[in-house]
Formats: sequence, structure tokens, C-alpha cells
Amino acid sequence: MSQAYSSRGSVSRIDASISVPVRLFIFSSLVWLLVASVLGVIVALKLQVPSFMGECPWFTYGRIETLQRNAFIYGWASNALFALNLWIMSSLARFELKSSWLPVLGGAVWNLTLTYGLVQVLLGQLNGFALLEMPKEVAPALVVAFVFAALWPAVAFARRPTGNVFVSQWYIIGATFVFPVITVVAQLMLLWCPTLGVMQALVHSWFYQNLILLWLGGSALSAVYYFIAKESGRTISAYYLATVGFWTYFLFASWTGPATLLGSPIPVWVQSVGVIASLMMLVPIVITAVNFFGTLAPRNGIAQSWNNTTLRFVLVGAVSFTLAALLNVVSSTRSLNALVRFTEFAQAQEHLTVYSFVSMVIFGAAYYILPRLTGAFWPSAKLVYLHFWSCAAGSLLLVVTGLTQGWAAHGRTDFAVSAAPGLLAAVLLLVGHFAFALNALGMLTAENAPSNRRAY
Amino acid sequence: MKNLNLILAGVFFTLAASFGGLLLSGQVQLGQLNRAPAEEGGPLFPPKEPGLAIQGRQVYLSLGCVTCHTQQVRPAGQGNDIARGWAQRPSVARDYILQSQVLLGNRRLGPDLVNYGARVKSDDEVHAHLRTSMPGSVMPAYGFLYTQSKDGSFRPTEDAVALVAYLKSLKIDYSSPEAKQKQ
Repeated sequence: MSQAYSSRGSVSRIDASISVPVRLFIFSSLVWLLVASVLGVIVALKLQVPSFMGECPWFTYGRIETLQRNAFIYGWASNALFALNLWIMSSLARFELKSSWLPVLGGAVWNLTLTYGLVQVLLGQLNGFALLEMPKEVAPALVVAFVFAALWPAVAFARRPTGNVFVSQWYIIGATFVFPVITVVAQLMLLWCPTLGVMQALVHSWFYQNLILLWLGGSALSAVYYFIAKESGRTISAYYLATVGFWTYFLFASWTGPATLLGSPIPVWVQSVGVIASLMMLVPIVITAVNFFGTLAPRNGIAQSWNNTTLRFVLVGAVSFTLAALLNVVSSTRSLNALVRFTEFAQAQEHLTVYSFVSMVIFGAAYYILPRLTGAFWPSAKLVYLHFWSCAAGSLLLVVTGLTQGWAAHGRTDFAVSAAPGLLAAVLLLVGHFAFALNALGMLTAENAPSNRRAY
Repeated sequence: MKNLNLILAGVFFTLAASFGGLLLSGQVQLGQLNRAPAEEGGPLFPPKEPGLAIQGRQVYLSLGCVTCHTQQVRPAGQGNDIARGWAQRPSVARDYILQSQVLLGNRRLGPDLVNYGARVKSDDEVHAHLRTSMPGSVMPAYGFLYTQSKDGSFRPTEDAVALVAYLKSLKIDYSSPEAKQKQ
């Protein structure tokens, strides 16, 4: 964990130029992370004690769970990925941002809109589509805010002084392009001019898979490629395959939606197309695994990564990505899917993707970026340690109990879920996130103290 | 792979392909579904929803019921939904064409509700389930849907009446050409 102290003393011109928007994104993501973690504990508590906070319609399980999911995906993960994408792309493309007020404006509108949307959900204005629950007037503002907040990596790429290109850059461009397109299409076809009957479920599955796998997953994969190469100082093994991995990932992931609807009243051929796309995902899964683990495995690289804060988180994220993606392939086979589709098994799969993969990669990246951005040290190595182990244990507990409970529940006629492990996991995550937020906030505020500048 | 426009065009193509292949062709197949009789010359199904049930769907949405309850029964070869007695037949696309928001759901912390209206016997049974928590169930009591009068009896609010009307309207106890085929 020595990396927590190995930050540089000075801030580069590139980092200084994007400092304000990146700080805003990271600060907002921290606030939303804490909100989502507290809500996560409440959700877990409500499964354990169903009557908890049951006196008022504001706090039904459905609404709190919806708030938690949206705060986590749009508040925490998306804000943090705005920061990551901008920082990684600026650093790769040697880009100095001139008009930093534009992404700041985008970030401000994004967070205000999200707050408005979530308050509406709390008051009972919600739709029935996961991650599209917020009232329909929210989406146009979110899309406009997204363009202002997330456009800059593309500008940086277009204006880069040399012709060099690295795989991370493709993923960032692709992920950034996907979000506004799928959001506009899904909002139009679900809320503004709704399609007929079960077409809605099909549209939603398409939106949902693209959002999770391409916007969140694509952005996080870019960070995995970047930090594995950067922190290990090695070239990506079998780099020539990375292009194939990128294109097959984007091509097949966007067809996997119907594989989440097996047995639903949509045409069987559409379901089969989804299953085929899920199987084809094996191509990018194998290629990314060769790229990631082929780079780190030789010459004792895994052990070295374990001693490096950023790489430790990123490694957990990369392993989780491979596992989650393989689980998605396996569970899209009809016979297995029939058993686990509506159970906690599916929840655990999603958790493995959005938490153990995407969020762990973001944490690792933050440990690298923040010292360079602020010129300060991480205030406490103990908190870094607490953060890692709390979050690793919490998410492992959630995934393992979800998978086993989901598997055990199939075929039974009762719905008894043993909620105690889920509650323990939610508390562990909350503790880990507080440790991370304390450390990061200490860092974001440290630079303003003049005494800190003389430390180098 | 060094040109921004090339990458954007490629990513656009991948999204456009899945949009066309899944959503447009799905729309071609499903977009024109109408109500249909089970037998030639018979009444049309699915039946029109009562007005109170349409109001009740808003209550169902607003309380977030879809988080724990699905509204779909899979065919006998795909899961044991029918064996569990949730419905006599799998749900088909035509069952949903009159619904403003289709709430298939993706998680079951409670039973499926697509045929709930055919399973319950009376309004009182549904009210009792909403007002009190059943033993062993993770579903809490929705006490705020009821007001208690001075003599101790409970009166359902407007929302509760609408919600119950909606839940009772959820039925797939009729047949249709595809449903017969699917069985």
C-alpha cells in the first residue's frame, strides 16, 4: 500500500487545466456514493425487518431501492467516470482544457437534474423501468448535461498533437457516444411516445444492457487498460488483439438485451438472437483476459500489483469483469436461466458488474489521479487499507450470498430470503465508502492550505 | 483506428445494427397487434381495463411494487411458473397491448401477479393482504393506504380502492390463438 504516499509534489499543466471539472465530478460522485450507501443499508434493513420505516408511502421498499440504484449509477458511477474519462484522455492526448467552465456547467446541471428526479421518485412520481424511473422531463436535461460534461475527451482526442492512439481512448470515445444515443431512443420509445405492449420490455432491455455494459463497462475497461499498462510499466500483452476486443465488445454487447428476457412474452427468435450475442461475448472476454492477465501474470506481476494501491483495486475489478461476463454467458443458456432468472442470482451478477468491476476500478483510478491533480498526499494509509478490505469483503459477501441464495431458491414456493448477510455486506460497504470519502475529501480540501505547498 | 470519425462511425454502426435488428424488427412483428377473439366470432381479448384499474396502475407504479413482483408467466419448458399455479397458461404478447406501461418486472421477492385477479376470491382478501403483513412474508403492511374510524374498523383510501381494482383486473384466464399454440 506504499503507493498511497508515492504521489508527486507538483501538478502538471495538463492536470491543472482540468482540475476544476475533475474535482467537481469527484466531489459529486463522493456525495452520491455516501447517499447510495446509506440507502443501501436501509434497503437491506427493510428486507430483514419489513415493517422498518413502513408508516409512510415515501419509504416503501420499491421507492428506496429505486433511489439507491439511480443514485449509485447516475450519481456515483457516472460522475466518477466523467472525471476518469476526462483525466485519462487528457493525459494520453496531452490536452489542455481551455474552457473548463463548460464541463463544470454540465456537471452542475447533471447533479441538479438528478437531485430533482430523485426527489420526484421519493414523492411517488416513478416509472416502472429500471434506471428510467425518474419522470420523463428529467431525461432531456440529463442528456444535454451529459454532452457538456462528457464531450471533452472526444475533443481532446481530435486535437491530440501526435497520431498515437491507445486502446483506452477507443473505449472512452465509444462509451461516451453510447449514453446519449441510448437514452434518447429509450426515452422516446418508452415514455414520450410509448411503443405497444411488450415492445417496451424489449426496448428497456436494450437500453439497460447498453447502459451497464457499454457506458459503465466501456469506460471502466478503458481505465483497466490504462492503469495496468501505466502502473506495471509493461506493454499490454497481445496488444494487436485489443482492436478486435474493442469492436467485438461493442458489437455483441449491444445485442445482449433480449438474453435477459428469456421466457418473457417476446418473440422467441429475438430471445435466441440475444442468447447468440451473449455467447459471442466470449470473444471480447477472452481477449480482454489475455490483455489484462497476460500483462500482469508473468514475472511475479500479480504480487507486485497487490502491493500497489491502484493496481490492487484495478486487479480486483478486472477479475470481477471477467467473472461477471462469464457468468452472463453461462446464465444466458436457457436451462440455467430458467432456474435463476428472477432470483437473487441475477442481482448478484449485476452487483459483480456495477460494483466489483466498475466501482473497484474507479476507486483504484482515484488513488492514482487525486494526488496528481491536487499535489497533495493521501491523508491516511490506514483508511486506504480499511477502504479496500471493507469493500472487498462486503462485495464478495453480497455476490456469494446472492449466487447461493438464488441458486437455492429456484423451484421453491416461498420467498424467504435470509437478509442478514446482505445487511452485513451493506454496512461493510458503507464503512469502506466513508473511509474512502474521508480520505478523498481530505485531499480535495488540502491543497487550499498554503502550508501544504511547502511540503515538497 | 486513429481517426475519431472512423471510431464514431463504427460505434454508431454497432448501435444502429442492434437497434434495427432488435427494436425495429421487433416493432414490425409486435407493433400492429390487435385484440383478437379466442374462437372465431367470439369476444375480443384482452378485455378493456376498467377506469378504476387504470388509476390503480398509477398507485402500483408509485409505490414501486414492480421492484418485487413480476407480471409474466413463462411457458412450461422455461421455469416452473405454471407448476407453481400462478396461471394456467403462459403470458403472450397480446395480453399486454392495452397497458400504458408494461410492468414485466425482473425480480421476484413475491409471487407473480399477471393472473392475480383470477387467483383471489374477493376484494376483502386483497385489502387484508395490503393492510396487514402475512406471517413469513417479506412484504410489509401498507397501513398508510387505510384510515381507522372511531369504532376501530379500517376504511380503504381512494388509492387502496384503485389499487385493489387494478390487482383484480390482472387476469389471463381467457385463451387466445397464440396462447393455444404456446401450450
